[in-house]
Amino acid sequence: MRSFLHNLNQERIVFLLFLAIFVAFSVILPGFLNANNLVLLLQGISVLGILGVGLCVVVIGRGIDLSMVATMALSVAWALQLNIDGMNLYLALAIGLGGAVLVGLANGALIAYAEIPPLFATLASGACVYGFGRLALIHSDLVYVTPAVGDLTLLGQGRFLSIPMPVIVFAVIAVIVGLVLRYTKFGRFTYAVGDNYATARVSGVPVRHVILGQYVLTSTVAFVAGITQAMAVSSMNTRISDTLLIYEVILVVVLGGVGLSGGRGGVRNVIVGTLLIGTFLNGMTILDVQYTTQNAIKALILLIAIIADTLVNPRDEQTAQHGDI
Amino acid sequence: MTRPLLEVKDLTKEYRGIPAIQNVSLTFEAGRVHSILGENGAGKSTLTKMIAGAVHPTRGEILLDGEPIGFSSPGDALRSGIAMVFQETSLVPSLTVAQNLFLGDEKIFNRLRGLYISAQQLLQSLNFPVDPGALVSTLGSAQRQMVEIARAVRKNARMIIFDEPTATLTPEEKQHFFDLLDRLKERGVAIIFISHALEEALAVSDTITVLRDGEHVETDIATNFDRAKIIRDMVGRDLSSQLYDQEGKRRARPYGEKILSVQNLSMGRMVHNTSFSVYAGQITGVFGLIGSGRTESFKVVSGVVKRNFFHGGIINLLGKAIRYRTPSPAVKDGIAYVTEDRKVEGIFETMSIAESIDIGAMAASKHRSWFVNRRKMNENAAHWSKTLSVRSIDNDARVLELSGGNQQKIVIAKALVQNPRIIIFDEPTRGVDVGAIAEIHEVIKDLANQGLAVVVISSYLPEILSISDRILVARQGRVVEEFSAEEADEEKIMYAAVH
Repeated sequence: MRSFLHNLNQERIVFLLFLAIFVAFSVILPGFLNANNLVLLLQGISVLGILGVGLCVVVIGRGIDLSMVATMALSVAWALQLNIDGMNLYLALAIGLGGAVLVGLANGALIAYAEIPPLFATLASGACVYGFGRLALIHSDLVYVTPAVGDLTLLGQGRFLSIPMPVIVFAVIAVIVGLVLRYTKFGRFTYAVGDNYATARVSGVPVRHVILGQYVLTSTVAFVAGITQAMAVSSMNTRISDTLLIYEVILVVVLGGVGLSGGRGGVRNVIVGTLLIGTFLNGMTILDVQYTTQNAIKALILLIAIIADTLVNPRDEQTAQHGDI
Repeated sequence: MTRPLLEVKDLTKEYRGIPAIQNVSLTFEAGRVHSILGENGAGKSTLTKMIAGAVHPTRGEILLDGEPIGFSSPGDALRSGIAMVFQETSLVPSLTVAQNLFLGDEKIFNRLRGLYISAQQLLQSLNFPVDPGALVSTLGSAQRQMVEIARAVRKNARMIIFDEPTATLTPEEKQHFFDLLDRLKERGVAIIFISHALEEALAVSDTITVLRDGEHVETDIATNFDRAKIIRDMVGRDLSSQLYDQEGKRRARPYGEKILSVQNLSMGRMVHNTSFSVYAGQITGVFGLIGSGRTESFKVVSGVVKRNFFHGGIINLLGKAIRYRTPSPAVKDGIAYVTEDRKVEGIFETMSIAESIDIGAMAASKHRSWFVNRRKMNENAAHWSKTLSVRSIDNDARVLELSGGNQQKIVIAKALVQNPRIIIFDEPTRGVDVGAIAEIHEVIKDLANQGLAVVVISSYLPEILSISDRILVARQGRVVEEFSAEEADEEKIMYAAVH
């Protein structure tokens, strides 16, 4: 505990903030601290959490993927549409996943080979995915999940040991991505590229392949998030690409302490960020606070977390010098 | 004795309780050059940054004209007449020279013509050949420095602090710089001069102060010092015989197998039709002035430059033609490049020593393993920290927290762990303290003794002369002359480099 407090960083601050809000809500909000509500809380944030875990891969690599939500919506909607039009479910899912992977490859190629800044590359590719996908691949904004998908709906609506399946999907994805980042060469290279692209390149890291891999992984996770989401609500509304969802994903990633400057943080940070936002949204909903007010408060939380981090960990004069020369 | 312009008393600066400067008391007089010397981490930068207001002292006081001062920012110090010319220049690259000179003093509406005329007058009065209308991004490092100095002069600085001003200058530019110091002295400006080049410090200083580990060792007039004494004071032991001796002259290593041969290589505007070879088991020194293409030629060989600038020529590695578009395949084929600019392309800021070295190991590994091997990582880190005598708390320490010399050792370890056949050191001892220079030179010599092909690119002649078995001289984008260690001397090399 002692060293926990002595080594305060953004992740820990946000975790403490989460605990504080959690305790406060438990005390003041009747009906907050009850098993059903807590399960609801977790279920409500699992898709956001999956997306956050996916996005953190490219953020650690000093990138960003604004096309993530569009990729999620369109790849899943396409798969569902193909299934409705009579294609075998698993073939349709494979094609949808293939579509997501292609978007990831395109993003990666634009960023690694054409050297377009990730912000612009994925902003444009997201719009393309939504525009062309909506025109050519699906018939309406909203694609319903038909009974033909059978047991796959359990992925969204089922429970395992009384835990909702989306939460389990979140956990599984978090573990997989966490292990990949920590224990594979690709994961270490991702940190290296995010920390210092030029150093990684000169050291012989195949930087462009690593970037390609990052965006493919993020798109793949987006597809999984989309499937979970679609099965939970029995449809995929492609209009979701036009919402502020992507900024909420960025919020949970950054809130937990994955630095936008790259090379810092990991899956744990995303989980902490997601928990805080989830608790907060749940409490606000019980309190019946307006959506706009919720947004304003969310922004405030992000600001507080960043300020607290700067206060507790001031930019050290000595390390800022990069070694005395 | 006249009253000193500036005086520091019992100045102490601690970072997290660890002193970087401890109870240092010094006086600085108008119209005199005062050199501050010391190894990396001795506290030179910290001391001068406190004087310039960029760092706040933990204890002690700074007196200007006998009055205690407490600057809250470098701007504050500048208004009181203390200017610092930083190692990494603080100019805005996208603005013109004139705009940079008047930065911070603009009126709401600027008449550009007026600005250029005053800038022109200022530069002419200092005899600087710099066009006030040129963008700073188009200037070389010497000219940038001139702009910085002109800015300090314009602010009527009474004290100018130069932190490693000559590191990036060519010999001719250095001479200009020293002339300028003389003129500044005549104007009664107090000058603090920080440099790793001891001869320069001896030549230009009136007073010399040596710091070691944050403590004041000695202050005396310059004529009471010589090179050996300064080094003894700096490191606390006698190192001068190890440093830059010319023992290489007596026992040059023989030619081994021809590892690399380059024919008629050209690249962009930097390399023109150059040809040279590198052999195993010896150290090939490469000397050239700035703009000679010495670094660029080897960056092409190791795939570090981008291919779109690659215009032609043949590169053979062990008889096989190669042409790398990125460093990754070059590293796998056994070519390692140790950068001259470790901050930009040498270190990982967030990583520990062990992790940094491991990135190098994984990048070179030909195994198709997908996973990290923690045991191997720690073994590698322990082995290389020991071999290169890296001084740190442990191998989990962040590279960023180490001194310049130890950072450089990590960059070298990151290359050596790749088990290269040819290793290219670009300015291996730039920004490295005296103690570490000797250690790094030992490492380089050992590598050649073990049979590696070693290339050392350096713009510091004593280094080239003391370490090389064979010396290539580059000029205007090509290797123009080759000397054996026996026949080479400073004059011959410099003559080849400039004519």
